Amino acid sequence: MSTVVDVHDVTRRYGDVTALDQVSFSLAENRIHGLLGRNGAGKTTLMQILTGQNFATSGRLTVFGEPPYENEKVLSRVCFIKESQTYPQHFKVRHALDAARLLFPHWDEEFAATLLADFRLPLGRKIRRLSRGMHSMLGITIGLASRAPLTLFDEPYLGLDAVARHLFYDHLLTDFAAHPRTVVLSTHLIDEVGDLLENVLLLDNGRLLLDTTAEALRGQVVTASGPVTAVDTFAAAAEELHRESLGRYARATLRGSFGPAEHHRARELGLDVEPVSLQDIVIRLTTARARRADTRPDLDTAPGDAGHTTREAAR
Amino acid sequence: MNRIGSVVRLQLVGWPSSLGGAWVLLTLIFLVNLGLFVAIGDIGDMTESGPQTGAVISIYIIMFVGGLTTFTQVFPFALALSVIRRTFYAAFALLLLGQSLVFGLLLTLCKLAEDATGGWGIGMTFFGVGPLNQDNPLLQVVVYAVPFVVLGFLAAFLSISYLRWAMTGMFVLTASSVVVFGGLIVLTTWQDWWGAVWRWITEQPDALLVAGWPLILGALAAGAGYLTIRRVTA
Repeated sequence: MSTVVDVHDVTRRYGDVTALDQVSFSLAENRIHGLLGRNGAGKTTLMQILTGQNFATSGRLTVFGEPPYENEKVLSRVCFIKESQTYPQHFKVRHALDAARLLFPHWDEEFAATLLADFRLPLGRKIRRLSRGMHSMLGITIGLASRAPLTLFDEPYLGLDAVARHLFYDHLLTDFAAHPRTVVLSTHLIDEVGDLLENVLLLDNGRLLLDTTAEALRGQVVTASGPVTAVDTFAAAAEELHRESLGRYARATLRGSFGPAEHHRARELGLDVEPVSLQDIVIRLTTARARRADTRPDLDTAPGDAGHTTREAAR
Repeated sequence: MNRIGSVVRLQLVGWPSSLGGAWVLLTLIFLVNLGLFVAIGDIGDMTESGPQTGAVISIYIIMFVGGLTTFTQVFPFALALSVIRRTFYAAFALLLLGQSLVFGLLLTLCKLAEDATGGWGIGMTFFGVGPLNQDNPLLQVVVYAVPFVVLGFLAAFLSISYLRWAMTGMFVLTASSVVVFGGLIVLTTWQDWWGAVWRWITEQPDALLVAGWPLILGALAAGAGYLTIRRVTA
């Protein structure tokens, strides 16, 4: 399977704030990748750099084998839909679609019409008069109907109700099956998209914490619960992300490799081992890292955090 | 090249409300002027004695504002639709040139109608006002068109600077204009050059004053805009 995106040591600084810190990863073709992380983690900056809308302070990256910045050949195959997308003041819904039709070579008019009907979007309404949810639906319609070989969605469903969100997931999966392409989905609603994602990238404070398949990740993180001593013994061989204790009973979230042998050992120790949802894995990994940073001030986290969030909010 | 064509069309999406609006406004302004001069009975014969109005400048102002919104509103949207900066700028320049030419032609037709009707029946000079008045129709088109081009590129440079450097950029631009122009005024006054300056200006043919020298400014703004847009981020 070939690689669509290749990122090497990419760093982006804004003054003394490091939005991205030596990020390296690659994205395989025709898969759905999840880009996860908290607010201000650097997700939007990363996607803007991938789509030539922003640029790295240092590092190298290629999209479809070439640097994307000011590269028409590459960017004509890319569609990036962001939550905060603005449209020209005088644009009506149909104007935005006219524009998208002009610019995306794989644009599918029929699919766009289906989506518009499903989302009940009024073609003749001014975009600035759309509700928050309808605004998101318009972005999603453009993103899906563009059929761009690399499609990125940045928090695409702000203000969308559960019905509309599931319409989006359904359309994404159905269309993805018929027209495979590389999709990057950045989101907070991790549990909702957990089953969609084949690959997971986790950013925290500008650093890449995880780059793995969703499948592998689920096997990597478990909770073990039982007597404290047994949990201690079992946890010694793994990385402990989180622990809750109640008297002599403890429940620890652990990261490591948990094959049949480990599961067998846990049973011998009298422990219950359970898988962890993708959302909990992300919460545990990001909070465990923040805790470590608190106790070890040499790590870069604390001071950058405030400024970082402000900047994200300002944009 | 194909893509530049698409981006030209993108900039024209919804044109009845932008370009069309400019002409509707100019028509309204024209009618108000006509009504006003008829109402006050200021009727003459298209010479210095007849009513004169500089209101035709309004369409230049409207198109200048149009240039600003092309970059503050359409450009970020185009960037989001994977258009590269170079292509957007080329499409803007192409559209600006074409649009200026069309507007120049339309204004020339209005000017010819104005001459033919003896100033709309009341000797009013609305289109062929001051230095804009040319006898040669070809030169007339150029004189009407060039200020659109110059103002368009100025608007582009200003709004691109705003996109790139926000308020800091506006402050630096304003401050440096104050320093440069203020400095020139001080220098001219100090050296007692005003007489020579006015003499030079009055010696220039109108066409050169309106459509010649400003081109230097337009070219500078066009180049500066291009260099600035290359590093604008979304």
